[in-house]
Amino acid sequence: MTQNEVPIIELKNINKHFGDLHVLKDISLKVNKGEVVVIIGPSGSGKSTLCRTINRLETIDSGQILLEGVPIPEEGRQLAELRSKIGMVFQAFNLFSHMTIIDNMTLAPVDVLKMPRREAREEAMKLLERVGVADQAKKVPAQLSGGQQQRAAIARALAMHPKVMLFDEPTSALDPEMIGEVLNVMTELASDGMTMLIVTHEMNFARHVADRVIFMDSGSIVEQADPEAFFSNPQTERAKIFLESITRN
Amino acid sequence: MSKTPSIRDMLYEEPGPKTKKQIRVITLFAILLLAALLAVVIRQFYITGQFAPRYWYFFGRWTTWRFLGQGLLVTLEAAVTGSIIAFLLGFVLMRGKLQKNKIIRGASVCLIEFTRGVPTLLFIYFFFLVVPQTGWKLSAFWKITLPCAISACGVVAEALRSGVNAVPKGQSEAALSLGLTKTRTFYKVVFPQAIRFVIPSLIAELVIVLKDTTFAYIVTCADLMQNAKVLISNYDAMLSVYLVVALIYILINYLLNKLSDRLADRLKQNPAERSAA
Ligand SMILES: Nc1ncnc2c1ncn2[C@@H]1O[C@H](COP(=O)(O)OP(=O)(O)OP(=O)(O)O)[C@@H](O)[C@H]1O
Ligand SMILES: [Mg+2]
Repeated sequence: MTQNEVPIIELKNINKHFGDLHVLKDISLKVNKGEVVVIIGPSGSGKSTLCRTINRLETIDSGQILLEGVPIPEEGRQLAELRSKIGMVFQAFNLFSHMTIIDNMTLAPVDVLKMPRREAREEAMKLLERVGVADQAKKVPAQLSGGQQQRAAIARALAMHPKVMLFDEPTSALDPEMIGEVLNVMTELASDGMTMLIVTHEMNFARHVADRVIFMDSGSIVEQADPEAFFSNPQTERAKIFLESITRN
Repeated sequence: MSKTPSIRDMLYEEPGPKTKKQIRVITLFAILLLAALLAVVIRQFYITGQFAPRYWYFFGRWTTWRFLGQGLLVTLEAAVTGSIIAFLLGFVLMRGKLQKNKIIRGASVCLIEFTRGVPTLLFIYFFFLVVPQTGWKLSAFWKITLPCAISACGVVAEALRSGVNAVPKGQSEAALSLGLTKTRTFYKVVFPQAIRFVIPSLIAELVIVLKDTTFAYIVTCADLMQNAKVLISNYDAMLSVYLVVALIYILINYLLNKLSDRLADRLKQNPAERSAA
């Protein structure tokens, strides 16, 4: 990766308040093409908020958000267009509960990308196959296990051919058995070269899949390093305390 | 994902054995009380001679029933048309109330509160007395249908809005994150789910529109009630006619309620539970 390449995502001096609470304090961050960045940090440190500001599901008070060098506007048609290039996977899956899995998959490609329905279906089936839930295509979300739902949700995001995938604690609502199947899909995605920004508490996954780990605490990026360095030799006191607290549990 | 409980599930806990017994006793009492009341009424009718053949013989005629049937058709037509208009107006007002624009939102809130606050009868008199003065010629049918629709649209708007608010936020966030515009998100994801929550209250509103159309005699629209009044004056038979007409109204509303329960049952469950049931 050359240094002068335009980053896929660039955040410049993002500030955000929830009332009096300063949740994001002057955050700047770049995610390069093909990079897998994992964000970790204690509860309430602002990880989800950061993730959600990138496609403007949260408003910001100041700062700039760029997708491949193009500023993402606050609202309007262009925002929708840029959002379609940023895949997002939620903790609660958020599959459309009134639609079958296949309809979940084809809604946006047909509606936003104006893809012919047949083509969208064919591609959707391939993606569902890839995440291992093709046999569930005709069911509605409530009929699937949590792990299946999350894998379908990942496939749904992939159907838009996103430039980058955002994951906000994708395995936190799953029991241990299902966590593995979702992490496997994500690991494969990473090795296929997908650019990913992942908020997670899965330290093993972070250690083995991430190219870079970002440690957040009370609204600031406290430390950034490659995973080996971060986990074996954290530089800041706060990161040390955090890592100790999670290894103790 | 946790299954969202239906409103009914939230309101009613499954009664225990003791409560069940209480319910049975109370039901028995209610039935006995009703029977006693009915007996008194029938006795009173008998004493005052309401069962005399001259009050009832014309119900043996086919033309009487056809006349009532024609009225019933007009009533149903007015109720259905009124409900459709109320739904469309209510939908527009609901969209208005959820807009960011303060003027649109304010106007929608005012209209919703106004139509909810003013009794239907006032709207009817408005269409009966004021509208003709403006030179706007309306048939009797519209003079009853429009005010009933207007009177219902605010309630419909609020019902729809509560449905929209009941859709989990994650649903619209997922749609937005896929690149759907706000409008598309609303029509493709939020509203189809919202409507499922509010079918029962919408049908309840249909029943109210139906009842409101009984004011049609004011504008001399030949609905069931108006035709009943014609029978009453023709045969000088008030009680018998009112009794029959009331039974017809009760029957229709009962059927509507049944339909509402069916629909609600169907829509609240996901297909998995439905096929298991
Ligand atoms: N909509 C909101 N309104 C007000 N405060 C909020 C809102 N969302 C989040 N917060 C607050 O902002 C802070 C950061 O929240 P955020 O969800 O980003 O934390 P997090 O790092 O994702 O934590 P967790 O690991 O528990 O998910 C928390 O103190 C939270 O209470
Ligand atoms: Mg979070």
